[in-house]
Amino acid sequence: MAEGNKETPEIIGFACSFCSFKASEMAGSLRMKYPEGVKLIEVPCSSRVDPAFIIKALMEGADGVFVAGCHPGDCHFIKGNYYTRRKIAALKEMFRAFSIDEKLRLFWVSASEARRFVDKVTDMYNNIKETKR
Amino acid sequence: MRIGIFICHCGHNIKSTVDIEGLKGYFKGLNNIACVEDYPFMCSEPGQALIKSSIERFGLGRVIIAACTKALHQDMFKNLVRDAGLNPFLLRRVSIREHCSWTGEDIEKNTSKAIRLIRAGIYSSAHYEPLEEKQVEVNKSALILGGGISGMSAAAFLARAGIEVYLVEKEKELGGHVRHLEDVWPVRERGKDIIERMTEELKTLNNVHIFTSSRLVSFGGSFGNYEAVIENSGGEIKVIVGGVIVAIGFTAFDPSIKPELQYGIDKRVITTLEFEEKMHELPIKEGSRVAILHCIGSRDEIIGRPYCSRICCINAIKTGEAIKNRFKDSYVESFYMDVRSHPRGGEEFYEDTQEKGLLFTRANISEIIPEQGGLVLRGEDTLLGMPFEREFDLVVLSIGMSPPKDNQEIAGLLKITLDKDRFFLEAHPKLRPYDTALKGIFIAGTCSGPKDMEESINHGRASAVKLYGLLNLGYAFIEPFVAYVDPKRCSGCRMCEQACVAKAIKFDEGLHIVRVEEAACMGCGLCNATCPSSAIALKGYKDTIIDDEISALTEAV
Ligand SMILES: Cc1cc2nc3c(=O)[nH]c(=O)nc-3n(C[C@H](O)[C@H](O)[C@H](O)COP(=O)(O)OP(=O)(O)OC[C@H]3O[C@@H](n4cnc5c(N)ncnc54)[C@H](O)[C@@H]3O)c2cc1C
Ligand code: SF4
Ligand code: SF4
Repeated sequence: MAEGNKETPEIIGFACSFCSFKASEMAGSLRMKYPEGVKLIEVPCSSRVDPAFIIKALMEGADGVFVAGCHPGDCHFIKGNYYTRRKIAALKEMFRAFSIDEKLRLFWVSASEARRFVDKVTDMYNNIKETKR
Repeated sequence: MRIGIFICHCGHNIKSTVDIEGLKGYFKGLNNIACVEDYPFMCSEPGQALIKSSIERFGLGRVIIAACTKALHQDMFKNLVRDAGLNPFLLRRVSIREHCSWTGEDIEKNTSKAIRLIRAGIYSSAHYEPLEEKQVEVNKSALILGGGISGMSAAAFLARAGIEVYLVEKEKELGGHVRHLEDVWPVRERGKDIIERMTEELKTLNNVHIFTSSRLVSFGGSFGNYEAVIENSGGEIKVIVGGVIVAIGFTAFDPSIKPELQYGIDKRVITTLEFEEKMHELPIKEGSRVAILHCIGSRDEIIGRPYCSRICCINAIKTGEAIKNRFKDSYVESFYMDVRSHPRGGEEFYEDTQEKGLLFTRANISEIIPEQGGLVLRGEDTLLGMPFEREFDLVVLSIGMSPPKDNQEIAGLLKITLDKDRFFLEAHPKLRPYDTALKGIFIAGTCSGPKDMEESINHGRASAVKLYGLLNLGYAFIEPFVAYVDPKRCSGCRMCEQACVAKAIKFDEGLHIVRVEEAACMGCGLCNATCPSSAIALKGYKDTIIDDEISALTEAV
């Protein structure tokens, strides 16, 4: 298990290729800034995210993990994000028992919402940085 | 395995906030790295040649290109790798521009982020497999949604190029808004005449099928073979089309959501669109006092329309000129925020109408008060900083463009995206302004944001050219990212079958395992995340690929 740097949180985000990953590309093109600790893994659909990935990332030292998908009703694969919502809710419930539920977030960001993407990841980053102290 | 890493400076875009030499130094010493190259522009011809020759020279098994995001230049890089004799699915793009050099300012932090991102590319691509893209035939036909000037322009181009065109218009007649314009600037023709000429032209082309009073009710399939169902009073018609152009236009802004303007309450307040439709029936005569208000439904954060509609300044000037031309002794005053008469000849037009006696006052109008005698405009002159009240007989609101009414419906059917103002979103505002994120689906005209006719026609034609380029090839490759089953691991629990939205998973009663119907699989990966036995995997995104990407990102540098 890698030692997480205490000063700067490392956050891994799983981003849906049709929406939030596109929003992150747009955020970059618009030169919007967000903390370097945030790193993305592109997945075709948020429903590809196996809860095991999230657990693995946290076990290996990530300070937080988020899953970002299309808004409910907008899934390119019709209803993949509904499965994601259920899976993450169950996982969060489990994390609550260990008081680590703050380390996991799920958010919906459409392809055009670059600003929302940046706000969401920055907020999560700051929140984790705060609780690490 | 021999891995080649190619780091792009992108001019100064990457180089100025990422230490390229530092990156090179880090990766040069690592196992399996056969070469680490950098170049000012990897997408340029010499950049491409560098990659190609390195693949050949070092016998590379993996190519890692650390540059812009993969939404850009992907086909070009894939072809290049293919030409060099390597399977194009052994290429990995790492975005160190959109996801690194542009999002952070600190060189040290960016460099360490870039190292992790590139490493994630190396680790995960180690599990890549050579994949074969399936070649499918592409139908040389197109569906055009919306028969306004942009859709009609696209239809005419495609049909003349030999493409079978299905033009679907929801109203009784073609033409959209242009049909209602009495005086089209700068050509000074009736919109109806322009539309009728274009309609005649379309009718002479026997490969254009025009469906009026019709709408799209269902949509599926993939590029080359999209399936669309069109509905009208005659019933439903199913067509197979290679690609689609969405050209459903705009909705004229409805000023009644701003009650202080009295629109819809007092008949003496009208819009520029109504002025176009009935300019000869209006109660204006010599001596009449007319006010024209710019930017109604534009540049207005409060009502969610922060953008400039681009046409309303010219429309306002055009309206003022029309009144002045007919009634020399009328008093016409235009109230503006800024005059943006941007198209060619617009500035001269603005000057000319001023000479004709049209008055321009820079002002904020706070309300219109209906009185017996006239309409009192209350506002502030923003140049003098003085409040004023002035009385008029008629007020014309120069309305802007709102997103099309059916934006949500069409976006939902086609699975394409809307932008923050609810117009259709282009794949890239500068580099791919006609494309959507979906192959073969393009946008044209005002449905992607305010445009005048010239811009709408150009946008329509450009989308048609782009679509023609794709259709004319006659074939396309389908992404090979589909699910596959390992029969030795599958327990036949059928959990994936229940989860799969596309119904692509079939249970084999005899063998008691499942199999995937590739043609139906959408490639979402839900089954992969569902299977308790790790027996089903999505090509390109299988567990080992993502697992190692996670490890690379969390491992200390
Ligand atoms: C008051 C006013 C004056 C103007 N004057 C000028 C001028 O002088 N010069 C100039 O260059 N420009 C002018 N314009 C701008 C011009 O009207 C637009 O540039 C032009 O109409 C854009 O064409 P379009 O095809 O994009 O959209 P539209 O004209 O809006 O056409 C869209 C078409 O799509 C159809 N449609 C909508 N939804 C669906 C659906 N779900 N399925 C099928 N069909 C659908 C509509 O019925 C319509 O026919 C003016 C605009 C206004 C409001
Ligand atoms: S979920 Fe896994 S084990 Fe169960 S049927 Fe599907 S592939 Fe086989
Ligand atoms: S990847 Fe998605 S569409 Fe394909 S078989 Fe799996 S669940 Fe079904």
